[in-house]
Amino acid sequence: MQFGIQREVLLKPLQQVVGVVERRQTLPVLANLLVQAQDGKVAFTGTDLEVEMVANIAVEGASDGEVTIPARKLFDIVRALPDGVHIDLALNGERVALKAGRSRFTLATLPASEFPTIDDIELVERVSLPEAVLKDLMDRTAFAMANQDVRYYLNGMLLDLNEDTLRCVATDGHRLALAETALSSGVGSRRQIIIPRKGVMELIGLFEAGDGEVELEFGRNHLRVRRGEVTFTSKLIDGRFPDYEAVIPIGADKEVHLQRDALRAALQRAAILSNEKYRGVKLEVSPNKLRIIAHNPEQEEAVEELEAETGVDDLAVGFNVGYLMDALGALAGDKVQVNLRDAQSSCLLQSSEDDRIRHVIMPLRL
Amino acid sequence: MPSPRKIIHVDMDAFYASVEQRDDPRLRGKPVVVAWRGARSVVCAASYEARPFGVRSAMPALRAERLCPQAIFVAPDFTRYKAVSRQIHAIFARHTDLIEPLSLDEAYLDVTDAKSGLPSATATAEAIRATIFEETELTASAGIAPNKFLAKIASDWNKPNGQFVIRPSQVEAFLTPLDVGKIPGVGKVMQQRLAKLGIRTVGDLRTHPRAALEQRFGRWGGRLYELARGIDERAVSNERELQQISSEDTFAEDLSLEALEADIRRLAGKTWAAYERKSDEERPRVARTIVLKLKTADFRTLTRSLTPQQPPQSERELADIACALRGRVELPDTTRYRLVGVGLSGFVDADSHLVQNDLFGDAP
Repeated sequence: MQFGIQREVLLKPLQQVVGVVERRQTLPVLANLLVQAQDGKVAFTGTDLEVEMVANIAVEGASDGEVTIPARKLFDIVRALPDGVHIDLALNGERVALKAGRSRFTLATLPASEFPTIDDIELVERVSLPEAVLKDLMDRTAFAMANQDVRYYLNGMLLDLNEDTLRCVATDGHRLALAETALSSGVGSRRQIIIPRKGVMELIGLFEAGDGEVELEFGRNHLRVRRGEVTFTSKLIDGRFPDYEAVIPIGADKEVHLQRDALRAALQRAAILSNEKYRGVKLEVSPNKLRIIAHNPEQEEAVEELEAETGVDDLAVGFNVGYLMDALGALAGDKVQVNLRDAQSSCLLQSSEDDRIRHVIMPLRL
Repeated sequence: MPSPRKIIHVDMDAFYASVEQRDDPRLRGKPVVVAWRGARSVVCAASYEARPFGVRSAMPALRAERLCPQAIFVAPDFTRYKAVSRQIHAIFARHTDLIEPLSLDEAYLDVTDAKSGLPSATATAEAIRATIFEETELTASAGIAPNKFLAKIASDWNKPNGQFVIRPSQVEAFLTPLDVGKIPGVGKVMQQRLAKLGIRTVGDLRTHPRAALEQRFGRWGGRLYELARGIDERAVSNERELQQISSEDTFAEDLSLEALEADIRRLAGKTWAAYERKSDEERPRVARTIVLKLKTADFRTLTRSLTPQQPPQSERELADIACALRGRVELPDTTRYRLVGVGLSGFVDADSHLVQNDLFGDAP
């Protein structure tokens, strides 16, 4: 196997593929990239057994062959080489020689046969939508995904599709983020899939805010996305996502409208004196006013007062200030609408102008 | 360069068995095995008279009985052992405040600045052992070295009733021919894995670069690299921080993972009760991590743990999480288990009693 390539052509796809490779692996070969040269093209594949990323790049003077090369080292070398340099890669026995300008590197390899790849997925459905829209939905919800929860189905993002809408939903069991968009051509019958956390993060990194369309291909157990020369495949989480619609409060009739930036800034200041671990703040609502109060174990205190459009009187609810700030950061628009019910019930946050992005937060019992 | 530390590892000789022999003259000079009666009990201690027969602590009591049929079996009496342990601790305290008890019969002492003012750590160790014998009629062995790792190996060197010094200048020469199995933490399995790499002695171990050991053995590889060079920076710490509260049980018959639920719930109840007792103390601590421990019928021990965002609030929650942790055991369904344990660890100060409500009723 042998080929030559410009550094700049290789660098970006390589970065995307290497991003999938975990720093600590269960199998030595998972630290490597699979490199396959065929018919003037080279495919670079990285995997962590759950998410696979393949970059297909046209090269010069290729002779066919395949091998695996240490991913991180290859990337670090290519990145550190000078701009515009031409890189030649050749497999000699069990070593790969990389030459560029006056630099020479010899890398260890493992046989391509040891590298686990995801076979062709059994395609059951396709959905296509603007890439920038999907990126935006994921950006605004991903922060609420659980991380290493025993409820494994929460460690990812739900894509809930029907004939005319797509919803992205993420929750860690304490707060929930939902964003939806209309689909020009949805799916025949409702389909719910859960993309694992890592896959979500990789997709967000892959998508760009341009005006292209992106096609999602659903297999029985996989999601595949092709984008330019890069193909992303993720296993899906095999589990039932909780009935999220049931936790979006409908009885939260105590409505408060606030300036989003002012509220965020006030929370940020109050957070300084909240308990470091639980990060509790108390929201007190009275007509046209919101008070934010924080205490820490040293009995220091922060009080913030904000103008609010509300007729609600005498309501106090505690929240994790981090959850509130995450939600506000993921909303759009100047004004935010907060719906509350009582100190035990969840609250709903959304932009005052539109409800396509909604956040639900459970209170802290103070 | 700071002057080297002086660490003593004191280890009582056949502690439980010696206490029994001291308190019952009929047992003296005879093979004594301290163990409960029961098909699955293990040996807590064996007197030196029992050891030539191959009896060792932690071996199944039934095996000990086969190896040494004439041995006298005595049930352990921890109340007495604890009383003696307190006596010994008081003797240590005359020499230093930096005492780290490892168990009832073992402790590390940092005597770099010993308050007894004896000329050397060797003299201090001798004085401690002599006093222990005087006041308890029991013998102890001691290891004296610049760190805990070496002190622990040294205390075993002239056991029983002896001591051994490893001076900083002797560390390398002492370690080189040492069998890797002598390194605390290197058991049979690890020894076999090392042997496959041609590593039998600590000297062999030293020829392997850090990166190679780390790649093969993870963080433990880095630790092995350091230990092979006699490096061990761990301080002797007398802070008796609450590390873990746990309850475990060995079953009369091996059970499937599925069938463990009732036992896990029962043990979770015991652990929770102990946790609540501790919580009443002056400085309340909150446990954040739930640990499920399992031992397979073929004696493999595994643990699975979880640190949820909110510490467990109830016995029920502890039990539910412990049960759910079974889902993270990747052994075949046919695996049978002889022991299960439920523990709480990851203690932090309870500076707050805030409770985060859950969105879904099915929180584990």
